[in-house]
Amino acid sequence: MKRLIFSITLLCIACALPVQAKTDVYGKGVSLSEATPVSAILDNPDSYLGKMVRVEGMIIEVCAKRGCWMYVAGDRQGEKIQVKVTDGEIVFPMSASGRLGVVEGIVEELKLSREEMIKYLEHLAEEKGQPFDPSTVKDERMIRLRGLGAEIEG
Amino acid sequence: MKWRKWNIIIHRDLGYLCFGLTILYVISGIAVNHIHEWNPTYKIEKSMVEIDLSTVDTADDRAVTATVLDQLGETGELKNIYRQDGRTLKIFVVNNNITVDVANGTVFQEKSTTRPLLYQANFLHLNHAKKLWTWFADLYAACLGILALSGILILKGKKGLSGRGKWLVGIGFLTPIFFLWLYS
Repeated sequence: MKRLIFSITLLCIACALPVQAKTDVYGKGVSLSEATPVSAILDNPDSYLGKMVRVEGMIIEVCAKRGCWMYVAGDRQGEKIQVKVTDGEIVFPMSASGRLGVVEGIVEELKLSREEMIKYLEHLAEEKGQPFDPSTVKDERMIRLRGLGAEIEG
Repeated sequence: MKWRKWNIIIHRDLGYLCFGLTILYVISGIAVNHIHEWNPTYKIEKSMVEIDLSTVDTADDRAVTATVLDQLGETGELKNIYRQDGRTLKIFVVNNNITVDVANGTVFQEKSTTRPLLYQANFLHLNHAKKLWTWFADLYAACLGILALSGILILKGKKGLSGRGKWLVGIGFLTPIFFLWLYS
């Protein structure tokens, strides 16, 4: 009888515990509570440069070789923002693609000449093994996040 | 007991202890050295196929997804779908990222699987784990230092450090200096 009461008690405790989805933490994790829409950053990048922001969204691409960057989808269709981390400091796994993520980082600007931008984007495409058309490069300024931490659903 | 005997014992037993991780690091080191030529962590298979979307409302993401997965015979767990633009739909299945051009039915698949042994070796060698492993890796590095030092002190005489040893140690120092000069 005692054993039965003990088992039922254990079961009740287990049921009472909140069921949490597994979340993987990268780098320093995330401390900001208010999210900034990607569209707000891309619409008005100058007012965000150097500021720490929290961005939420679906991870749509991950660096396959080093896990040193990923793209988070924006709140407006077709928009995305790159999250770049220092090689080796944070490594995003390929399995993160398609998962929802929360990222914290500093908004920065990558200002390159057109040739340098083409070379950089070509390198990213090469890492992904994707075709690259230099004529698609319109902007020589890339707004991205220097990622410091992230939480990605497992 | 003389110090040289202790030196041999330390060198021998530390060598045994470090053997496993050294071999793991050798494999990972060579694999990662050639990262420009291949992906040392994941095996990625890319393929392009055409599928028939004529019976589906291409604006309905769920319906397109079901049709694509069915025609591909993909049974993996569906993680998410993302409409990139009017004609591009991305379907994320575990270990398979699928990009569909809904206008012409072209499907690009990127299947990724971790390379057995190499994935784990790289995980440790490149210290993705951080935390406690960092300290353990530091300890291992210190052990390698002790192995190197104790190694050059094993023999004395003509074959020891005072003989041919000093020349070989010298070459060992000069080699990286040469490459630094070459690339400067």
